Amino acid sequence: MREQSKYLEGVDKKDLFASGHRACGGCGQALAARLVADAAGENTIACVATGCLEVFSGPYPDPSWRIPFLHSLFENAAAVASGVDAAYKALKKGPVNIIAQGGDGSTADIGLQSISGMFERGHNVLYVCYDNEAYMNTGVQRSSFTPYGAWTSTTPTGNTTRKKNMPMLAADHGIPYVATATVDDFRDLQLKIRKALTIVGPKYIHILAPCPLGWGHHGELTVEICRLAKDTGLFPVYEIVDGKVTNVKKIPAKVAVEEYLKPQGRFKHLFKKGVPAKEVDEIQEIANQNIERFNL
Amino acid sequence: MEKLPLGLALDLRKVVPYETGSWRTLLPVNIMQTPPCNHGCPAGNDIRGFLRTLAEKKDYEEAWHVLTRTNPLPAICGRVCPHPCEDGCNRRDFDSPVAINSAERAVGDYGLEENLEHKKLIAARKEKVAVVGSGPAGLSCAFHLAKRGFQVKIFEAYGEPGGMMRYGIPSYRLPNYILRQELDNIMKLGIELECNIKVGVNIPMDQLIQHYDAVFMGIGAQRGLLIDVPGQDAGNVFSGVEFLREVNSGKYVDVGKDVVVIGGGNTAMDCARVAKRLGANVSVVYRRTRVEMPAITAEIDEAMEERIMFRYHTNPVKIISDDDKVVGILCVQMELKEPDASGRARPVPIAGSESVIPADMVILATGQAVDYDGIEVHTRDNKWISANEDLMTSIEGVFAGGDAVLGLETVSAAIGQGTRAASAIEDYVDGSVESRLASPPVIYSKDLNTYYYQKTRRFQKEALPIHMRLKHFKELYPALDPEAIIDEAERCFSCGLCFNCGNCFMYCPDNAVKISEKAGLYEFDLDFCKGCGLCAKECPCRYIQMTLEK
Amino acid sequence: MLKQIEGSHAVAHVVAQCRPNVISAYPITPQTHIVEGLADIVGAGQLDAEFINVESEFSAASVVLGASAAGARAYTATSSQGLLLMSEVIYCIAGMRLPIVMTCANRAISAPLSIWNDHQDSMAVRDAGWIQLHAEDNQEASDLHIQAFKIAEQTFLPVMVCMDGFILTHAYEPVDLPEQKEVDDFLPTFKPRHIVDPRWPRGIGLFADPRFYMETRYILHRALEKSEETIKEVSSEFAKAFGRESGGFIKTYKLEEADVVVVSMGSVVGTIKELIDQLEEEGKKVGLLQICSYRPFPRKEVYRALKDKMNIVVLEKCISLGRGGILASDVRWSFPRAEKKDRDISSFVAGLGGRNISIDDLRYMVEKVEKEPVEFEFLGLRTELIAEKEM
Repeated sequence: MREQSKYLEGVDKKDLFASGHRACGGCGQALAARLVADAAGENTIACVATGCLEVFSGPYPDPSWRIPFLHSLFENAAAVASGVDAAYKALKKGPVNIIAQGGDGSTADIGLQSISGMFERGHNVLYVCYDNEAYMNTGVQRSSFTPYGAWTSTTPTGNTTRKKNMPMLAADHGIPYVATATVDDFRDLQLKIRKALTIVGPKYIHILAPCPLGWGHHGELTVEICRLAKDTGLFPVYEIVDGKVTNVKKIPAKVAVEEYLKPQGRFKHLFKKGVPAKEVDEIQEIANQNIERFNL
Repeated sequence: MEKLPLGLALDLRKVVPYETGSWRTLLPVNIMQTPPCNHGCPAGNDIRGFLRTLAEKKDYEEAWHVLTRTNPLPAICGRVCPHPCEDGCNRRDFDSPVAINSAERAVGDYGLEENLEHKKLIAARKEKVAVVGSGPAGLSCAFHLAKRGFQVKIFEAYGEPGGMMRYGIPSYRLPNYILRQELDNIMKLGIELECNIKVGVNIPMDQLIQHYDAVFMGIGAQRGLLIDVPGQDAGNVFSGVEFLREVNSGKYVDVGKDVVVIGGGNTAMDCARVAKRLGANVSVVYRRTRVEMPAITAEIDEAMEERIMFRYHTNPVKIISDDDKVVGILCVQMELKEPDASGRARPVPIAGSESVIPADMVILATGQAVDYDGIEVHTRDNKWISANEDLMTSIEGVFAGGDAVLGLETVSAAIGQGTRAASAIEDYVDGSVESRLASPPVIYSKDLNTYYYQKTRRFQKEALPIHMRLKHFKELYPALDPEAIIDEAERCFSCGLCFNCGNCFMYCPDNAVKISEKAGLYEFDLDFCKGCGLCAKECPCRYIQMTLEK
Repeated sequence: MLKQIEGSHAVAHVVAQCRPNVISAYPITPQTHIVEGLADIVGAGQLDAEFINVESEFSAASVVLGASAAGARAYTATSSQGLLLMSEVIYCIAGMRLPIVMTCANRAISAPLSIWNDHQDSMAVRDAGWIQLHAEDNQEASDLHIQAFKIAEQTFLPVMVCMDGFILTHAYEPVDLPEQKEVDDFLPTFKPRHIVDPRWPRGIGLFADPRFYMETRYILHRALEKSEETIKEVSSEFAKAFGRESGGFIKTYKLEEADVVVVSMGSVVGTIKELIDQLEEEGKKVGLLQICSYRPFPRKEVYRALKDKMNIVVLEKCISLGRGGILASDVRWSFPRAEKKDRDISSFVAGLGGRNISIDDLRYMVEKVEKEPVEFEFLGLRTELIAEKEM
């Protein structure tokens, strides 16, 4: 065995989410799921919501999970995880890491209630949201995480509303730990997963996971797009520990939102006439507000 | 067929993964590319190779062996090379180039301190090669031939070997003991050396051609070329090479109070700074401005630090002497007009601007030429030896390289030529045709993904303070801190070669990048790779590239 | 120990004696007293279980799904809209073969809103893959819960114990409550076969493409059919252990000599038996076939009991709108096609939304079918309220 790269010290690569899944090439969610599983380690139970992740990673007889995997429905991952938590308490088993996971639809929309319930009841569960900003599994329909201006198959002229702020919503439940992360910074992502798992109680980690198919970018750009999302201020990366925003990742050099929008087919219509459409200003305004709000 | 388990609950330890490799249309491949430093090195050094060895293994000994595969004189080049490698370094566009030259010196010095020895590649063979001249070209050629088993004999015209390194470069830049040690180390390969034999004068060229299977001429450009200034026959008028040779030979040279050096090249700088160290006030007289001076920038800077006066736009008209002794030089002011054939601004005298600069010595560092005494060989423009691609001259079996072929060039360029000539000689002797592999494309900044590199400060070597420099010929730059050099080596981007950053390994959404047990650090698991290209995109050094799936 | 007790509390008591590890529920009338009772028991430290108050029935079902998949004995209870809200999870639980026990305090379905009893709720999920057992009275309701855990954990099928809302849940009757030791002796500890546990990583809830899905449904269907044996066995084991008959597939009352047989299920059978006794005194031979296990449906038992009966009337508290009586369909289907031709099977729907089924209503029904068979009729319908033009 060759020496582990010194650049990967403190990074986990165990392939507990293994090769052979049916995600598209360059899938941000597949990458995120492996980073999460590897950081959490073998002593983990994944409760997964229906969605792209479950479909590409959970077909019988060759799923990609190598940690226990429990899936039932679209909207109940948090409740199922609550049940697992209750069972472990009642049976006096464990400790075990219980991670409920879902996409943005199952988190922000259909599953919001069960997540809220899980948070409020104080289960020892980490909820991980893989945010790819639309219903990708069903063919790129709008979700409440779809950003302003983005094309989806149900917002053919561009989404007219802003993205729901799920991390703040989670934090306002009074849970001890909330964090955002992106797949490009795997070290940060895994640190947050590990940190969250040391905290007893409900935790929420929101991971931006680009979808090459739904966002209309080449698979090779998945990491780059994440970086741009951060450096424009459109996706602030921070933690909320006991209600206080902390460890905000500063933007090294601010990038105009156009740089982020242009490589993505879902924003193509905003640049059709040669000059950026007025929506671009609005998106820049969203970025600016984030930068101000989080002091990025 | 496996029976369906209760509730379709599957034992995950028994899963046979579904192979997704068939989805691929593009294929990632590891391709070692040429870094611009290697590309720009006239000696052909594997610069990336020795820097990565330092950075990853912190192993000076291995780094020395990497470097001396091509260059037997790292301690010398680490001191005198104008390092075109650093000009090309892709870090230049990021923060500042890696201090390759200092790293080379540190590695070279380590080799000398630890008495590291060159290894012969193959056992001895019977063919003999004569090498004329023991400058960098000759030494390099001899070194490479000896490593390949040839019987090599070097003929040196002067009393000591080293050529311009011995007689041209002042010892504050290159201490004699460094040259001596690296030279001795080369000689340990079993090379024979005979000094004070000037081929063409003490021994006819034909004799060599008859007795040896091949001859290499690395005879340099030892003759100072004087410009036509009236009064240059006076005593105390030297050519640059002549002056440096006198001083480097250890002879006492009385420079007097004021020395005027004519010229703007490296020899002019050396002469000026040597004269300064011998106690004179020194002026450099140059027709154009600093921008046009051909000398290495650092050399000009150092000369200025040493309070050498630069008189630009100035041209000598006449050397004034009294009783065959120089007393001054009449100069005229120039102005620059449209560029001449060399691309530099053309200086034109301003009428009535003549003035006299007092001088006890005048050094005309205005050019050098090959000394063809007793050697008949085809030349280009009556100046430099004419040689073909394989560096063979007009005489069958006689090869040439270094300044004698290139014109005035660097030690590294001469080494590179010696290396090339050695290969050509081997092929000539073997009667084979050299199959030169086309080197892979050069990686430039735009090809890299520099996101993963940190901005860092470049290593700065510390020169002796001015007041300590001018009283003696002690080396200008004292020994370098090996730890600091390791840090500097870690700045190397490793353009075009995996440095085990692990990005491909971590970023592959399909876990299709595996740690390699064999060659290279990572390999692609083609059963699962979907060809998305993320690994190639996030490879900082562009070692991974996407190709069409066959 | 015989105790005058509310039906809900009796059920809570025996469910607690079954020592579930995880209980999760969301309040809905008329299920509330059951979970309140359990909450009290857990709160008093008499049962070491996790009681999870959730934010919806959907999550209640999901919590017990998760708990069961993690190896816990899990229980929930609901009614009506709650059951419908759960329905997605209900199907999953069965498909995943999780042995969960649920009480359905049967109640009508909106709209209009009605909190009163009928069987439309549990009927709505009759095809989900659960065993559905219907209790006649509170004694049976209690007893069926003890049996339900045993049946579920032997068959890896979820069991729904249906008891009529208010009529049973809120009625005070004397119930013979077992001792804890009796329950412990009867009900072994749960030995799960497929759970999420890092020591033996399993994927539970994988998706199946067309190569595999049909077989999973076939297996589930056959498992339900085969659960017949377990249901009967557990019922007879129960009779041995506790000294009283409860559950099983079907029950009969004065069936052998009967000229007219009423088929029904749930608490209404009490009134039917009373009518049968009255009619017997009047010289009429009427009998009862009571369906205890609605799913799996006791087709063979029904056929065996009714094969010589030519006048059968099915009374049920549910309707397949646009089709008619559901239980009636099941009964009609129980006869081989060849034997069906000259047998009269009448269908009556009664008691929807808590409408009282009086003994006079039942007498009317029997007397009517004695004259001629009734294809389909709403019993006790207040026709004066119905405007023709709104139909």
